[in-house]
Formats: sequence, structure tokens, C-alpha cells
Amino acid sequence: MEFDNYIENLIARYLNGDCTVQETEELLQWIRKDPVNQKAFSEIKDTWDSIQGKNLSTDEQLLRFYKKQLEKRKVIRLSLWKQAVAVAAVLAIGLFSGIMLMQTSEKQVKTAMEFSVPLGSKSSFVLEDGSTVTLNSGSRLVYSQHPKTNSREAFLEGEGYFSIVPDKKQRFIVNTSDFAVEVTGTEFNVCAYPDNPFSSTTLAEGSVQITFNRSGQIYEINPGERLRYDREANRFSRAAVDIEPEIAWKDGEFIFRNIAFSELVRRLERWYDVQITWSAAELRQFTYTGRFKNQETIWQVLDALKLTTPIDYSRISFREFEIMYKKP
Amino acid sequence: MQEFDAIFRDLYRPLYLYALKFIDHDEDANNIVQDIFMAVYEKKLYHKKYDHLKSYLFNAVRNSCLNHLKHQKAVNRHASSAAIELKEAELRFFETIEKSLIEKETFAEIHDAITKLPAEQREVILLSRFEGLRNREIAEKLNIPVRTVETRIYRALENLRKKLTSQTFFILLNYFRQEHFQENLPNIP
Repeated sequence: MEFDNYIENLIARYLNGDCTVQETEELLQWIRKDPVNQKAFSEIKDTWDSIQGKNLSTDEQLLRFYKKQLEKRKVIRLSLWKQAVAVAAVLAIGLFSGIMLMQTSEKQVKTAMEFSVPLGSKSSFVLEDGSTVTLNSGSRLVYSQHPKTNSREAFLEGEGYFSIVPDKKQRFIVNTSDFAVEVTGTEFNVCAYPDNPFSSTTLAEGSVQITFNRSGQIYEINPGERLRYDREANRFSRAAVDIEPEIAWKDGEFIFRNIAFSELVRRLERWYDVQITWSAAELRQFTYTGRFKNQETIWQVLDALKLTTPIDYSRISFREFEIMYKKP
Repeated sequence: MQEFDAIFRDLYRPLYLYALKFIDHDEDANNIVQDIFMAVYEKKLYHKKYDHLKSYLFNAVRNSCLNHLKHQKAVNRHASSAAIELKEAELRFFETIEKSLIEKETFAEIHDAITKLPAEQREVILLSRFEGLRNREIAEKLNIPVRTVETRIYRALENLRKKLTSQTFFILLNYFRQEHFQENLPNIP
């Protein structure tokens, strides 16, 4: 009897107490001695386990599940893409992931939000101040508010169209690797892909102030003007442009006027998430003007290109194409 | 995804509690159940018959927990192997026809049975299970020896078990009778 009581206490200690390693070992030995013991122990513990005051938010877990699923889908979508290039049009559905990173810096708490858009897709979102940002394929934006310095700050890699809600007290700054665009309230486009030989800002309305990181020089441009920075030559040029082709991408259109072959290829690569190789020097002489909505497949675009330019193309792998010059 | 959501809302909590029987950490248990639902989602298992899916999922949790324990044993050789082996033994017990009360979803009955416990036993159950006090803390609070707390907890669990299994035993009996009737086995009285 005394022995029974001892085991019972041991089990109660195991369930809700501090069972030493030796005691756990003892319990294990007792259980192994007889299946009846095993049964008694398992049933008592099961009763204990089924009494639950533990809080668990199923909704929270469901949310967590869908978040994971979204992250996963991003990867799945890209690999499906590989197989479906032949029939795939540019993904019209924007997909982005917003990750909230809470950072504690000294006394003040600032919230940084990160948005990224995979290749072959675009996405729009509204910031907490009501400003809207549309990110183009393969872009990343980190946004944070600094109450201390009275500024709203974003770091952009890629291309984004910004429609900023005016707030005289809080400047809005878009930082890129080449320059910072500072505004109070306006609409403008910033293109700063790291693998492009240039970066640019085009102003739709309002006014902006652009500060170059390297030289510290400050420029202002007027609506309808574009400031373009040539990275290799370390030169900038300011020119009046037709803004429509510059910002048509945000509405799912692809407009280009008098762009070089090399730039066309780069845009197609980004737009369709494909790789296009070419080397023929003859191709450099061509400039392109065109407009299409994103229903066309990469094949249709290349076929259209074939009609106007003496080229031929071949598919190297799922997402890789090669363009060859063909003597007319 | 209403179908999936309904299954998730229905079964996430019991599966999670089931995993916690064999896994110590909340986060590990959550991860295990999340992964299992990932499979349900991807393989569209939510179209399956509810009862089949349910026992499939409890099985899946057990398998994942077993793998988790094996992994723990391999990775952390200095951790008390007795503790892990105890969990493994328990897992094996539920691999037989024995079903956990969690799987039977007798939560309402359990709470009902708790209110009917003798006051002394009910008290220790409420303090340990709902207020999260350890045996030592309960002893201090009630000013009784730890051994007494342990004994009361054990008696309370024993009592609850008896009440709950006698109910489910009858349900099981009925279930078997129906089964036999359906299968037309006249030899069985």
C-alpha cells in the first residue's frame, strides 16, 4: 500500500512538479515492469492533459497558417512560372509581402515596414499616412516613420510610383543607392534597379528635391520632367519627357518610346521574369516604340519583335531566351 | 477555403493539445500541427470524410511527435533520456486502440466532472490546471504538505478518469453493437 502511494505521488510530481532525473528514471522503470502500470500511468496523465485552461487563439494560428502559405506560394508561383512560360502572361495579380519589423532604438520606438514584390508581378499598397505606393516587378521598399526628425522615410530598390499625401510638417523622403528624393506632397516615379546602368525620377505633379548621395548636389525638377542619372558616366541629365510611358507600368501597361534595344530587353526580362541574352552589335542601332497591355505572352512579344527587327530567337531553357541578329 | 477553415477551427486546438502530451514546448507543438495542416491544405485532404480525416490527423501528430522525440534524443544526448523514453512509451500506448480523451473531445464532460469532485480534490485541480500553480506553490497556499497535494491530485485524476470512462464505455458498447448489426454477424449474441 505504501508502495502504491509512493508511485501515485511520483506520478503527480511528474505531472506538476519538480521530478528529479532519478525520479523520472524510477517512473520509467516502473512503467516498463508491467503493461498494467503503463496503462495506469498513460490514463492518469491523459486525464491531466485533457483538463486544459490553456489559452490558444485558433484564429491567430489560422492567420499564421495563411501567412506561411502566402510566403510559400511566392516560391511555388515562381517555379510554376518556369513551366508555364509558353502560356503565361504577366501576372496581373499583385503579390507582395509586408513584414512588420519592430525595432527599438533607444527610447523611441519606430516601426519599419518592408514590402517586396517578386519578379513578374507588381503591387500597390497604402502606407499608414494614406499615401499610396505601387511597386514594380522585383522591387523592395522599406518604410518607416521618424517622429523625432519629423520625416517619413523610405528606402527603395527597384521601381516605385509614389502618390504622397501632403503634410507640410512631415517630409517624405525616398532614398535610393544614387539619390534621395524629398517631397512634401506629390506624385512621382522613381526607378532605381541595382542592375540598371541608370536611375531616374519622373515628376507627375507637385515638386521634388533630389539630393545626390555622391556629390551632395541638389536639383529640383518640374512636373513633366525627368532627372536621369547615368551610373557609369556619373552624369545626370534633366529633360522634359512624356510621362505616360514612364508610369504606365503602374496600370499594367507597357509603353515605350524610342528606347534602345538593350533597354527593351532589360524591361522585358524584368516584366516577364525571363533571361534574354544577345550579343550582336547590329542590334544596338535599333530603337523601339510600342505599347501593350500585359495580356501578351513573352512569345507574342518576341514574335512581334521579329516582325519589325531582323532577329530570330530561341529558347535555351524554361525561362531563358537568346536573340540573334539575322541579316535582312 | 471555407471547408478548410472549418476543419482548422474545429481540430487545431485538440491536435495541438494532443501534441503537447508528448512535446514539452508550445512552439514545437504548434509547428508540428501547422505542418500537418499544410499537408491537409496542399493535398486537399479536407474533402475527406470528417471521421477518417480526424483519425488520420491524430495519427499524423503522433508520428511527427515520435520523429521529434527521436531527433531530440539524437541531438541532445545529455538531456534526460528517461524523460524522452517516458514520452515515447506513452506515445506507443496511444498507437494501440487506446484513444486519448482529447481525441474523444470530452472537454465538456471533463469540466462537468470537475465540478462534481470532492471540494479538496477540485481545489487542487483548479489551482494546478487553471491557475498554473506548481505542487509546491499549492502546498504553500493551502498550508498543507506537498505530499498531500500530490495525493489529492492523483485521487482527483483517478476519480475523473472513472467517471469519464464509464460514460464512454457505454458509448463504445453501443457502437460495437451497431457495427455488428450492420455487418450481419448473427453468431455474436
